[in-house]
Amino acid sequence: MFVSKLSDSIRQLKQKGFRVVGCFPLYPTVELLHSLGVIPIVLWDLKDQVRSLEESDCHIQGFACSVARRLAGFVLSDEGALLDGILMYNACDTLRNMPEIIQLGLEEKGRDLPLFRIHVPMAPRDQTGSDDYFAAGIRELVRGIESAFDVRFSPERFLESVKLYNAMRSLAVELEALAAAGRVSYGLFSRVIRDGYFLPVEEQILALEEAVRQASSVKARDDDGRGIIVTGILPPPEAVCAALEHAGLRVVGNDVASQARSYGRPAAETGDPVACYSDFYRNHMPCTTLLYTSDGRVRAIHDLIRERNARGLVFIGEKFCDCEYLEMPFIGKTLSALDVPDLQLEIAADDADNVESLRTRIEAFAELL
Amino acid sequence: MTEKRETSKGFTKTESGKRLTRMLTDDYMNLHRGAGEGAFVVWVAIIVPVEIFRGFDNVVFAVPESHAALSAAKGVGMLQCEKAESSGYSMDICSYARIDIGTAMSGGKDSPTFGLPRPHLLVSNNNNCSLLVKWFDVYHREWSVPHFIIDVPFCYERQKDRDRAYIVAQYRDLIRTIEAMTGQKWDAGRTREAVHNSSEAARQYKRFIDCAVSRPSGITAFDSFVQMAPLLTSRGSPELASHFRMLADETEVRMKSGLFPVPGERYRLFWDNIAPWHQLRKMSTRLADLDANIIAASYTSCVGSVEGSYEFLQDYDDGDPLEALARMQNFSVCPYGMELRFEAMSWAARHYGIDGFVFASNRSCKVYSIMQMDLQKRVAGTLGIPSVMIDVDHADVRKYSEENAFVRMEALLESIDAVRSRKGA
Ligand code: SF4
Ligand code: SF4
Repeated sequence: MFVSKLSDSIRQLKQKGFRVVGCFPLYPTVELLHSLGVIPIVLWDLKDQVRSLEESDCHIQGFACSVARRLAGFVLSDEGALLDGILMYNACDTLRNMPEIIQLGLEEKGRDLPLFRIHVPMAPRDQTGSDDYFAAGIRELVRGIESAFDVRFSPERFLESVKLYNAMRSLAVELEALAAAGRVSYGLFSRVIRDGYFLPVEEQILALEEAVRQASSVKARDDDGRGIIVTGILPPPEAVCAALEHAGLRVVGNDVASQARSYGRPAAETGDPVACYSDFYRNHMPCTTLLYTSDGRVRAIHDLIRERNARGLVFIGEKFCDCEYLEMPFIGKTLSALDVPDLQLEIAADDADNVESLRTRIEAFAELL
Repeated sequence: MTEKRETSKGFTKTESGKRLTRMLTDDYMNLHRGAGEGAFVVWVAIIVPVEIFRGFDNVVFAVPESHAALSAAKGVGMLQCEKAESSGYSMDICSYARIDIGTAMSGGKDSPTFGLPRPHLLVSNNNNCSLLVKWFDVYHREWSVPHFIIDVPFCYERQKDRDRAYIVAQYRDLIRTIEAMTGQKWDAGRTREAVHNSSEAARQYKRFIDCAVSRPSGITAFDSFVQMAPLLTSRGSPELASHFRMLADETEVRMKSGLFPVPGERYRLFWDNIAPWHQLRKMSTRLADLDANIIAASYTSCVGSVEGSYEFLQDYDDGDPLEALARMQNFSVCPYGMELRFEAMSWAARHYGIDGFVFASNRSCKVYSIMQMDLQKRVAGTLGIPSVMIDVDHADVRKYSEENAFVRMEALLESIDAVRSRKGA
C-alpha cells in the first residue's frame, strides 16, 4: 500500500509506545482520549493517504462519499491494523452505518478493535431535555475507554488536554488570518491543518507554530486579491487550491468542516468532560451535520463574507454528501439576494486530481468577481 | 367471492385495492378540507408517531414521503425531480426529497393530490435518516415554518430503557409545542385510542403479509407495498384497522378459492429496500412470467415490529401511550444496524421459505443501502441462500435499467436452480 503521512505518523507513535485511536469525523471527543493517554487521529481528508479504494469497494457501494470510503479503506488496510481502537459518534447517515461494516471487515481479516461510540443529541437544547441523556453517554464513554486501555480518568489531565487543543485551535485561527492576508497560500495552510489531524496535539502545535513563524516573515500582499470564502466538508484538493490562486482568487476565510468549523471556537476549559462537551456540541460553529446548529450557518456565512470583505463564495461539494447538498441551494439564494456570486464545484472520490474540468469554471468565476 | 381480477399474474387489483384508493382519496381530501377550514397542519416524517396528533381537536398531518411515493407510482416522480434539480438540488439527493421539493416549490402543480397544504409545523426524526431533517429544513427556511426534530439514537443493539425515556421526553416537548402554538389541549385518552387502532392495524397488516407463508404465496410483495400507503396517511384511525382486517380476510378467501398471484410459483424471493414505485406492475408481471415471486420485503415486514425483528411485537396493553409509541420508534428498517437487520432477515428466510434475496442497491437511500454488500455476504455465508444486487432508485426512474435488473434477477433464478440440483444430487 501507498505509504502516507498518516501511516508514518501512526507507526512512529506506536514505536514510541503510544496507543492510537482512529476517530471518525467530524468533531470527535479528542481531548478526552488525549487526557487518557491515548492519541486520537481523526480520519478525514485522506485523499493523499488512501489512494486505492479496493478495500472499501468490497464493502461499500460507490455512492458513499469519499470520506467514508477512504476511512473504511484505511481502517481495513494493513496500516489500519496499527490502530488500537475506533471512536465514532452519529455525525451523519453514512457514518452511522460504518462501524458494523468495519467490524465485519476486520473480522474477515481476523482482526478486532475496540469501538467507542457516543450519541450526540441532535435537537436544540431548549426543545428537549437531552442534557442528562448526553451526560450519561459521556460517562459511559469515559468508562469504556478506561476499561479498554486500563487507564484512569483525571479531571486535571482533562483540563490540560482541553487547554492544549485550544492552543492548537487558536494557532490555526492565526494561520488562517495569515493565509487571508496572502502570506501563506491556502493550499499550504490546508496541508498544515490536514496533517495536524494525523499528529499528537503537541506536535500539531509545533507544526502550526512553525507555519505561523514562516508565514509571518513573508510580506503581506498589497493587492487585495479577489477575496473569496470557501465552504464545504473538506478543503479543495491542492490542485484546485492552486487553480483558485492562479485565477487571482484569495481565500480570505473558510467555512470548511475540517477547518474553521473545527477550530473556530475553543472548548470550555473545565475538568468536567460532561460540561465541556455539552458546551462544545451545543455552541459549536454551525455545521450542516449538527442538525440544530445549521440554521446559524446561513448567518455565519453572511457574517464571514461581510467581515472579510469577500466578493464570492466557493462551495466545495463532497459528492454524495446529502447534508451539504440540501443546504447549498438556499444559501446560494440568500447570497444572490445580497449580490454575492457563488460557484459550486463538485469533488468525487475518483477525480480529486482532475482539475482541468474545474479550471475553466474557476477562471470564469474569477472574471465575474 | 365475486371479485374481478384485473391481471392474470403478478400484482393484482382487488376489491381491497379499490377500497384502498377510496381511503387514500379521502385522506388527502380530508387533509385539504381540514387545512382549508383552519386546522393546524403538521408535516411529518413517516415514523413520527402521528397518534400524538390524534390527541388534539383540530390538528391534521401530511406525510411528504408518502406523497412522493404516490407521485412516483403515478408516473410524475421524474417531472417533480427535475423541478427540484432546476432549483439547484443535486440529482444525488434522495428522490423522495427531490419529488417533494419539486412539488412544494411549484405550488403542488402536477401532483396527484394537488400537493399538500402548507404546514404550520414540521416534525422530523433523525433515526430513519438525517437527510429528511435537512429536507424539512428547506421548508423551515424557505417558508419560516418551525421545525421540531425528534432526536432518536440509532440502534446497534435493542432499544435501551434510557433511549426510550429520552424519546418520551421529546414527545412531551412536542405536545407542549403544539399546545402552545394552537391553544388546544392534548388528550392522552384519544392518543391511547389511536395507539390501540394502530396496534390492531399492524396486527391485521401482518396477517395480510403472512399470506406469503403459503405455497404458492397468496400475495406478492408488490401488493404489500401498495397497501402501505394508508399506514402512513391513516395511522391511528379505526378505519385503517378495519381496512386491513378486510384485506387479510379477502386475501385468505382468495387463497382458499385457489387464486394465487403466481400459481406456478417456483422461486420465492425476498426484496431488501424501498419499493421500486415506478416499476410495481412491470416488475411483478415480468417476474411472474418467470414463475418467480417476490413474496416479502424488509420494507413491509418491519411494520408492527421492533428493531431486529419482523415478528409482531404485541397488542397494545393500554399502558402509557407515549411509552408504547417510543418503543415502536425504531420499527422501520433504517433506524437499526446490520446485526439486527441480519437477524430479522434470517427469521424472514425461515418463516417465508425464501429461495433468493434481491438486494436493491438504491443510491437515493444511502441509509438503507450502505451495508447491503456485507448483508449479501452474510446471506450467502451464513444462510447459504443465493442473492443478487440490482441498482434501483425507488422513485427516480432515470436511475433504473430494467434490462440490467432482469439480467441479474434471471441469473439469480439460475443460481437457485443450481443450488436445488446440488441438493438433489
Ligand atoms: S462528507 Fe458528508 S456524508 Fe460524507 S462523512 Fe462527511 S458529512 Fe457524512
Ligand atoms: S434517504 Fe431513505 S430513509 Fe431518508 S427520506 Fe430518502 S428514502 Fe427515506
